[in-house]
Amino acid sequence: MSRRVPPVLLLFVLIPLLVEGFWVFWPALQGFWLSLTNWDGVSPPRFAGLGNYARMLEDPVFHTAVTNTAIWLVLFGGLSAVGGLGLAVLLQKERRGVGVYRAALFVPVVFSLVATSLIWQVLYQPGGLFDSSPLADPDTALYAVLVPALWRQVGYVMVLYLAGLKGIDPGLYEAATLDGATAWQKFQHVTWPQLRSVNSVVLSVIVIDSLRSFDVVWSMTRGGPYHSSELLSTYMYATAFQSLKLGYASALAVVIFVLAFGVIVTYLVRAFREN
Amino acid sequence: MDRRHFLRVTAAAGAGLLVSGTASCATSASSGPVAQTAGTATIQSNLSAPAAKAAIEALVKAFNDRKGSQASVNTVASETFRTQLPSYLTSANPPDLFTWYPGSLLKGYEEKGLLLDVSDVWQTMGDYPQAFKTLSGRVFVPTTYYWWSFFYRRSNFQKWGVTPPKTWQEFVALCQTLQSKGVIPLGMGAGSDSPWTASSWFDYFNIRINGAPFHRELLAGKQRFDDPKVKAIFTPWREVLPYTDPNGTAIGFQEATTALLQGRTGMLLTGAFFADAAPKDALDDIDFFRFPIIDPKVPLAEEGPTDGFFASSKSPHVKELKEFLTYAASAEGQEVYIKNSSGTILPTHPNAKDSGTPLVQKGRAHLKEAAEITQFFNRDSSDALQPTADAALIKFLQQPDQLDTILADWQKAAQQVWSS
Repeated sequence: MSRRVPPVLLLFVLIPLLVEGFWVFWPALQGFWLSLTNWDGVSPPRFAGLGNYARMLEDPVFHTAVTNTAIWLVLFGGLSAVGGLGLAVLLQKERRGVGVYRAALFVPVVFSLVATSLIWQVLYQPGGLFDSSPLADPDTALYAVLVPALWRQVGYVMVLYLAGLKGIDPGLYEAATLDGATAWQKFQHVTWPQLRSVNSVVLSVIVIDSLRSFDVVWSMTRGGPYHSSELLSTYMYATAFQSLKLGYASALAVVIFVLAFGVIVTYLVRAFREN
Repeated sequence: MDRRHFLRVTAAAGAGLLVSGTASCATSASSGPVAQTAGTATIQSNLSAPAAKAAIEALVKAFNDRKGSQASVNTVASETFRTQLPSYLTSANPPDLFTWYPGSLLKGYEEKGLLLDVSDVWQTMGDYPQAFKTLSGRVFVPTTYYWWSFFYRRSNFQKWGVTPPKTWQEFVALCQTLQSKGVIPLGMGAGSDSPWTASSWFDYFNIRINGAPFHRELLAGKQRFDDPKVKAIFTPWREVLPYTDPNGTAIGFQEATTALLQGRTGMLLTGAFFADAAPKDALDDIDFFRFPIIDPKVPLAEEGPTDGFFASSKSPHVKELKEFLTYAASAEGQEVYIKNSSGTILPTHPNAKDSGTPLVQKGRAHLKEAAEITQFFNRDSSDALQPTADAALIKFLQQPDQLDTILADWQKAAQQVWSS
C-alpha cells in the first residue's frame, strides 16, 4: 500500500535540509574548492591545482603538526576513554556522596576551555608547580597542554559511560553472580559487550574533539615554542588568519576533515559488519 | 519511537537550526561592518583596551560637537579586527574609516585599489615632519605614536648605585654589576602569548649594527636572514644572554612588567605602553634610557610605532571622512584624544600638547633626536612574517648554539611568506 507523504512532513524534512545545506554543506564545498587555490582574502583566488597539497609534503611545520596531532589523538583519546570508563565503573553504584564526586569530575566540562587554560597557565608559572614552566620547553609543551584538555574530557566521557552503564539490565549481573563470575569476568563478559553502542559514540566524540582541539593549545602556547606544540588545527588557524594564506589553510582543513571522517567511517563500517 | 514523537523531534531540530542560523547571522552582523547611515562617517576601530576606547570615543564626540559632519565609531576586539580586515575592505558596503598603522600590509591594499587617496588631508598637515609623510604615503593619516627603550625604576638604580649606560661596553658592565648584586639584570616577557616582544631585541640590534635602511630591506624580503650581516647581530646578543631572565621565554609580557616594577629584574626593553599598567605611585619612579649605541658610525634610529587612520576607496562619505581625518590630524583633535587616553602616547602633530609628564616629554625628545624611525618588526614587515620571527628568536633564546640552523630555517619560512 502506498500512501502520499503529507506535505507538512515534507516541509519538516526539507527546511532543515535547506538550512543545513546553506550553512554547512555549501561552506564545506567552498572550503574544498579554496584548498585548490591560492587566496589572500583580498584578490580573487588563483587556481593552483593540487599545489597546496604538494606543499604539505615539504613543509616541516606540517610534519610536526601531523605527528603532534597523532600523539594527541592517541593520548587524549586513549586516556580520556580509559579514564572516563574507569571513573564511570567506580562511581556507578549509588552510594552516599557519590553524586558529589560525579559532579566534581564533571565541573571542568562546564568551564570554558579558555578559562581552564588561564588557570593552568598560572599553575605552570615558573616557581609554581615546577621550577621552570613546562609550556616554555619544546620537549614538554605538548604534554603540558594535554593535561588540562584531559582534565576536562575525562569528566565528559565519564558521563557518557555512566549513562551507558545505567542502561545495562541488572539481571545480567545477577545471572553472572549466580554463575560465580569474578568482578573482572563480569566486566569482560557483561559490561563491555553491553557498552558497544556507547563505545561508538565515545569514539566519535573523542576523535572529533581531539581533531578540533584548538582553544586550549592556542590560549596556552599558540603552538609554540617554535611550533613544538603545533596541532593541525592551530596550524590551520595561524596559516589562515596570521599568514593570510587561505588556500593553504583550506587544504589543511580538508586534511583534518579526511582524518576525522576516515577514522569514524572505518569504525562504523566495522561495527555494522559485526552486527 | 512513534511517528508523532519523531515529528516533534524533527521540528524542534529544524527550529533549533533556524534559530542558531539567524543567531549566528545576527552576531556576524554586529561584529562585521557597521550599518551605513546617510551623512555619517563610520569608523571601524580595533582600540578595544578601555583607555584607548574611551579616547577614540571622546575624539568622535568632540568632532560631532563641532556641528559639522558627523562620525560614529564601532569598536571590535583587535584580534577580530585583524582577521576580518580583508573582509571589511572587500565587502560591498565597508565602513568608511579604519584604525591601523602604516606598513607593508597597507601598501598591499593600496596597490589593490582598496584605499582612498587622502593627500588633500595632508595639505592641511604642513607642519608634520617629513618622516611621517614618507611613512604614510597617500593613504594614511598618523595621529599618535610611542617609543621603545630600556625602562627601569630610578629608586632601584639609586639603591644599587648604578647609572644608565650609553655605550655597549657600559651596558654590559651594568649587567655584570647588577648580577653581582643578585638582581636579574635584563627582564624578558617573550613566553605565553607575547613571543613577539623578543622581536624588539632583534630590531634594535639590527638598526644599531646594520642601520635602519638595511633593516627595512631585510624585512621587505630584499635581504636574507641567513646573511652574515644578520648573523653578526647575534654576537652581542649572545654576550648578554647570561644576564637575561632565564624564565624570559616562559613568562608573558605582563609578568615581565611586574618583575621589573617589583625590582626582581633591573631593566626591561619595552614600549612605553607598559607604563599604562603600572600603579600610580610607581609611575613617577619610572625612567628609561635608549638602547645602547654599538657602532657610533651608524645613524641613530629608534622604534616609534605610529598609529592612525586610513579610509576605504568605496566610501560614499568622502567629504565627511576627510573632515574627520583633518580634525584627527589637528593639534586640537590629538589633545582631546591624549587627554582621554592613558597618557604615555605622543601626538604626531608637532605643536599638539602631550600629557606633559616628565616621562612623556623625555620620550618625545628621545624620538626627535633619532635620524630614522622604524615601526616594529610586524609593522615594517607584515603580521604574516611575525610568527617566523617568533619561532626563530625564541629558539635562539633557548638554544643559542643552534644559530646557523635557526637562521637557515627562518629564511626558508620567510620565503614561504614572501612568495605567496
